[in-house]
Order: sequence, then C-alpha cells, then structure tokens
Amino acid sequence: MNTATTSRIEYLPRSRRRTLVAVALAGYPVAVAALAALKHTNLNRWLILALFLLLLLPTLATLAVGYCYARGRIDGRRARLDERDLALRQEAYALSHRVLAAILIVATAVTEIYLTSGNTLQLDANTFWPAAMRVIVYIPALPSLMLAWIETDQPADA
Amino acid sequence: MPDHQRQVHNRLAVLRAERGLSRKQLADKLGINYQTIGYIERGDYNPSLELALIIAELFRLPIEAIFSLKPMTPLSEEIFREPPAEAR
Repeated sequence: MNTATTSRIEYLPRSRRRTLVAVALAGYPVAVAALAALKHTNLNRWLILALFLLLLLPTLATLAVGYCYARGRIDGRRARLDERDLALRQEAYALSHRVLAAILIVATAVTEIYLTSGNTLQLDANTFWPAAMRVIVYIPALPSLMLAWIETDQPADA
Repeated sequence: MPDHQRQVHNRLAVLRAERGLSRKQLADKLGINYQTIGYIERGDYNPSLELALIIAELFRLPIEAIFSLKPMTPLSEEIFREPPAEAR
C-alpha cells in the first residue's frame, strides 16, 4: 500500500471509521446468513458463491482498512509509541475484551435457548466453519477495530 | 479522552506559537508523536504528570502556568491585570 493511501486511512474521520468498523463486524455474519438462506433457493451454486463473495468483499476491505489504521500501534511495531499511544492501546484491548465477552454471552444464551426449546444442533462442517472463521478473523482483528472505533479525529496540522 | 476524566486546560498552543515551534518540532524535543501535541492542545488528551513536568521544564515555566483544571485566561490579561487594591 502506498504512502498516500496509508496517510488517507490515518486521517479518516471518526464517523467514517466507525461505519467501517460496523461493516467489518456485521459483514461476515450477514454473508453467512445470506448463504444459508440462498442454499434453500433454486439459484445456481456458482451464483450463490458469487453473491456470498460479493457480500464478503466489504468485510475483507473494511478489515484491511481497520488493520492499516491501527497497525504498528496495536502490535507495538511502530518505532515510537508514546504515552498516549500506549493508553489508547490499553483502552482498545479492554474494549475488545468487553465486546468479545458480550458476543460470547449472547451466543451462549441463544444456543442455550435454542437447545432447551427441544431443538438439536448438529455439529458438522456447515455449522463449525462459520464459527471457526469468526474466531480466526475477528479475534486478531478486534483490537485494531476497537482502536479505530475509539480514537477521536486527528487535530489539523499546525 | 474517556468520559470519566476531567479536562485539563492548557496554554500549549500559545506557548508553542510564541516560540515559533511547530507541533513536530515540539514533539521531537519531548520525544512524543506530533499528533499527541495536537490532542493535548485540543484538550482531548491529558498528559501524564511526567510529561507535564517535562513540558514545564522545556518552556521554563511553572507547571500551573501551562496546565490548569480551570479554563485559562489569556496571558495578556494576566500580565496587564491591575493588582488588587491592598497590594497598591
């Protein structure tokens, strides 16, 4: 990624960053839900796959932007992290933990209600893969996304 | 700045302008990122006590001349303010 693009991402206004974070977080579940719904239609398999990938694209793009925004600060690879960067990173990790805890609680509660209502849950590749993808994609990306979410707009240069 | 934090007012922008320093130059002297200077000036980030003391030392001013919990009055007003009657 060239310097101009990186700089543009760095100066993204907070409202736009928050929209991107929301898309990144909601995109994959929406794509999986759409895939599950489309499977029951008579649509061509390749068309379903194409639609799924089309829905997945914004998620991947926004995840990349979120990563670019926070990279170096979340993983500590930036040459110099000052006290504000460190405080912000700590806040981002704390918020990630809270978000993750909330997601796990809601997911567990929904599963519990579903199972106690007399339904059964079959654990196969179709159910395991989306859950595994969420863990693989979102857990490492969550701190970067949270940092992009909490940081205020950068002051104008002077 | 987190909601629970009280805002610390400061005269950093005025002092920096007085000395003809850019944010980048001041940040380099303080060993911090230049964006942090902007966030402090705007009141979005409260510096640590250590950084506040380093800033005071750099400008050779008492810390209370730079940072305050109350909104700061313009420097000119403080300089030319008439002394209280009993002091005259």
